Amino acid sequence: MITLKGWRKTVIILGFLLPTLLGVIVFSLYPVLFNVFISFTNRNLSHYRPPESMLTCSPDDFGTYCWNAPLFGNYARLFGPLMTRASLAAWARLLMLMLPWLGVYMITRRRGYRTMTAADTWWVWPLAFAFSYAIWSLAGGQAAINHLMNSGDFFIVMFRTFLYVALCLPFFVITGGVLAIILSNDHIRAKPLFRTVLILPWAVPSYITAKIWQFFFRSEHGTINQVLGIFGIQGPAWLQTDMLAFGAVVLINVWLSYPFFMTVIMGGLQTISRDLYEAAEVDGANWWQQLRQITIPMLRPAVMPAIVLSAITTFQMFNTVWLVTDRGGPTRGAGRPGATEFVMLYAYKQFRSQNYGAISAFSVVVFLLLFGATLLSLRLTRITKGAYE
Amino acid sequence: MIKPSKFGLIVAYAILALAILAAVYPIWFVALASVRPGQRLLTLDLRSMFIPREVTWENFNRLLYEEYFLIWLQNSIKVAALTTVLCVSLGTTGAFALSRFRFVGREPILIVFLAVNAFPGVLSLVPIMQILQRIGVFGTHSGLIMAYTAGTLIFTTWNLKGYFDIIPHELEEAAMIDGAGPIQAFTHIALPLARPALAATALFGFLSGWNEYVMAQVMFTGREILYTLPVGLVIMADDQAMPWGLFAAGALLISAPTLLVFLSLQNHLQAGLTLGGVKG
Repeated sequence: MITLKGWRKTVIILGFLLPTLLGVIVFSLYPVLFNVFISFTNRNLSHYRPPESMLTCSPDDFGTYCWNAPLFGNYARLFGPLMTRASLAAWARLLMLMLPWLGVYMITRRRGYRTMTAADTWWVWPLAFAFSYAIWSLAGGQAAINHLMNSGDFFIVMFRTFLYVALCLPFFVITGGVLAIILSNDHIRAKPLFRTVLILPWAVPSYITAKIWQFFFRSEHGTINQVLGIFGIQGPAWLQTDMLAFGAVVLINVWLSYPFFMTVIMGGLQTISRDLYEAAEVDGANWWQQLRQITIPMLRPAVMPAIVLSAITTFQMFNTVWLVTDRGGPTRGAGRPGATEFVMLYAYKQFRSQNYGAISAFSVVVFLLLFGATLLSLRLTRITKGAYE
Repeated sequence: MIKPSKFGLIVAYAILALAILAAVYPIWFVALASVRPGQRLLTLDLRSMFIPREVTWENFNRLLYEEYFLIWLQNSIKVAALTTVLCVSLGTTGAFALSRFRFVGREPILIVFLAVNAFPGVLSLVPIMQILQRIGVFGTHSGLIMAYTAGTLIFTTWNLKGYFDIIPHELEEAAMIDGAGPIQAFTHIALPLARPALAATALFGFLSGWNEYVMAQVMFTGREILYTLPVGLVIMADDQAMPWGLFAAGALLISAPTLLVFLSLQNHLQAGLTLGGVKG
């Protein structure tokens, strides 16, 4: 630690800090604050110019924007439809679906303390699933979702983005994990070669691979449909069918992201002491038991931060989805968000149609969510240990 | 480690073979298209989907000598390199200060950095474009460099701070006892020690500029001479006339440096990965 005193301290610290701070304030902090400001105005296609003074303007002025009336109008438009009585009832029904999983959490936690493994609590998972399904059909889960889906773009876009993240992450971990475990086995040959080749999808710029995958999934002359054609199957129009387009984007993201997980998990595997496996072998544990009781629990600290990090980047995914599904995939009706129009795509499209006020409010909400997730990831990776000492 | 059974080994190699096919085929597919005569990605017979039949360098030739490719390449190198220089030089001193000095406002600064970094780039397009317009650099390469610097500066600072944190500060203290000031401690001791981190940060800064597409596309719509490679290539691929062979040739040429960087760094990837939050 460098300790300095008096005015000299101030000058030197400022000297070091100023270039960085200036850059951050102008190009990073200002856009955020500006966005917050715009989210309280009615700026859009017909109110596009800044007013002469924010104090004297009126929201009815022609051409210039002003404070929104009411001030929180843009936020109210996002959250209002989700707060009506019918919507709250729908939320309540969906929350009930969470109850069995809360039960699972409680049970596995308690077991965890006693035996250090969740292997003998497998039965809670099918049970919780059955309960969830029962609640879903009895309380009308489908109707609740449908109601919220009709409440406006905000819920649709958020719901689909979360669903996308939730679908992608398990595949990331499984594909990356399986490959990492195989490539960490002493009895596999040519490991460096495999490792180098398997990292390729990560290394090629994503807009290039996006274009290639788009071509693969084309309905006419697309590579996938051509291969299907050899077997006499008429392939579907992948990117024009909403469920299939969604699936395609999940698949592509798995292809793009498994190298990251493979690398992280291989790093994690190296930190597990060999003694543990030798001891397990002496006790007669087979390969599967070693995997369940040693490898998976010991990998947690390495994999958890990667999962949170990936959740954040997947949530923000833009380039690939935009290019593959040609701006957000098929829609059901004009003006409604497409099947793969995730948060960033939606924001970008609204921004292009100059819906500034509304989209700023939307981005502030997304920002708060992402900030929360970042803090969570920091707690998991503990880099803040140094920062807040 | 338990020796896997024969069956286990077969399954493992089968999975690896499948994974290799999936990882390599899209890239091999582009390589094939780039040397195929005519402007097509598609071929209707199964064999030439895997093995080249006739090889022509026509696409590379046309790309390099008849299209804007070399100009785009020059633009891309210029933009990415200057972004890197700007980022590292603006970030290093701040990172050092945040790591080594204790002062009022240090923690708030760190938290603000983190918070602002969580703000997604696409959403700050409007204000950034407005600033650039106001200072008169919108639609120029300087403007793009500024915007990219903005996008990577916090990451750079945070990453370098993390590295300064793990360099033992006793070295600098010893130097200061011998009469060095804090500036000399920085330039003569901390900076040389942080060289590996500087290199890694610079490389990731370079790649972020090299691969960025959205902002450049918004800025230079319709002005081919200013395009960077990603914009040029995507627009080429979107063209109705579909010069797919050209796209494929360009894609190969652009991917090459990125690939080299990744392959040479792959042993260092594991360590620096989760710490700084780098993901392609």
